[in-house]
Amino acid sequence: MPILIQPYREEHESAVRDFNHRLQSGGADPDLVFFTFARPRFLPYSEGANLYQEYFVALENGVVRGGYALKRQNFFFCDGVVRNVGYYHHPLSEGIVNKAYASVGALLLKDAMNRSPLLYCLGMGGYDRPLPTMLIRLGWAHFAVPFYFNVVHPNVFFRELQALRTSTFRRGLLNLAAWSGTGWAGVKTIQGLRKLRAPKPGSFTSQRVEDFSDWADPLWEQARKEYAMTAVRDGQTLRTLYPGGDTHFTRLRVARGGRDIGWAVVGERRKDEKYGAMRVGSIVDCWAAPDNALPVVQAASAALVDQGVDLIVSNQSHPLWARALEHGGFLNAASNFIFAAGKNLTALLQPFSENQSRLHFTRADGDGLPRNF
Amino acid sequence: MTSTILDQLRGVASDLFNIPASQITAESSPQTIDAWDSTQHLNFVLALEEKFGLQLSPEEMEQMHNVGEAAKVIENKLQGSR
Repeated sequence: MPILIQPYREEHESAVRDFNHRLQSGGADPDLVFFTFARPRFLPYSEGANLYQEYFVALENGVVRGGYALKRQNFFFCDGVVRNVGYYHHPLSEGIVNKAYASVGALLLKDAMNRSPLLYCLGMGGYDRPLPTMLIRLGWAHFAVPFYFNVVHPNVFFRELQALRTSTFRRGLLNLAAWSGTGWAGVKTIQGLRKLRAPKPGSFTSQRVEDFSDWADPLWEQARKEYAMTAVRDGQTLRTLYPGGDTHFTRLRVARGGRDIGWAVVGERRKDEKYGAMRVGSIVDCWAAPDNALPVVQAASAALVDQGVDLIVSNQSHPLWARALEHGGFLNAASNFIFAAGKNLTALLQPFSENQSRLHFTRADGDGLPRNF
Repeated sequence: MTSTILDQLRGVASDLFNIPASQITAESSPQTIDAWDSTQHLNFVLALEEKFGLQLSPEEMEQMHNVGEAAKVIENKLQGSR
């Protein structure tokens, strides 16, 4: 029986539940479940929208064998043109538990490529995962988006970060670092030295705002040409991504001398076992001309510290944003947040090796929004 | 099926799977070519799309169980577009 890929509709929901059950029974990771409801809760399609999500399912005689999500969003490119680009995420195939369906992953991706010729992936959990492995074999351009972290409370960090506590010896060492104060002193010294080397950003103000309104538009217009490719971040788009009533996020308006210079969206992540009991804040999204990145990073960090987080994390593709994080005291670590661009998209970004450092991608463009908050 | 299309597909498969075209027949398939897995199948389909200037659906991709069947799909597609 051929496999057909169709938009996910309400009538498929029970078949998706069966699909999820088969994955879990087959030993798949507990996170690997497809969306229970056909209508996306985040960014559902509305008439005339250019920013929305759709889900698709692979059906074999009414049985779901896989599915994926496609987010459509307008992006501004260095040639001055705004194009609608697809973000391919959450692909799931029965092939992970049943080799008879090993081809479903490739069929899902082909379907997405047909629906959205300009396609990218972001996040994906690291280069060792099946999706990035497949994309690289298909010749997609790719790089790891640098990961930065700022330890606000070192003692909690050493006690709770499960990724470091992988053996009895390491746990003992980290406990010692936490209780003796040496860990605190070490982290604060390294982070402090980074801040000392930073240029002074000059005085600025940061104001929490309920919503993004028209003040965000001039910032978008002024700074967009600094980037080779960036998701449109005008006021209307920001109101859709971070609607006023959504209390998971804090929206910051950053100004200098009464003039807007940028904004940031920050939030506390949901509990995640890799972070233990730590409260983890994230600089989810941000915008400014790259020259004004440092005050925006400082404002975002201060807001998260005020909220009481123990650790702040951020992924930034643009080197000037990455440098601003370093100047803000952030440290960097290996990133599992991978950007990959399909061939048509890569063709618009030639020479890719030069333009990849002018792309603006943050956590907000990846697979964590809004499920991690 | 015209032999020209089959010959062109053999050329594409030869380049992709790194096998001499003379060793590729209409019956060549993932069962007979080690390098032909699901990702390479997608690569094969993308290469055919580029060569023949058409777009194939996942359903058509699934019908291509061997080189000969792929040639039939391409031929039908080309006839349909005329």
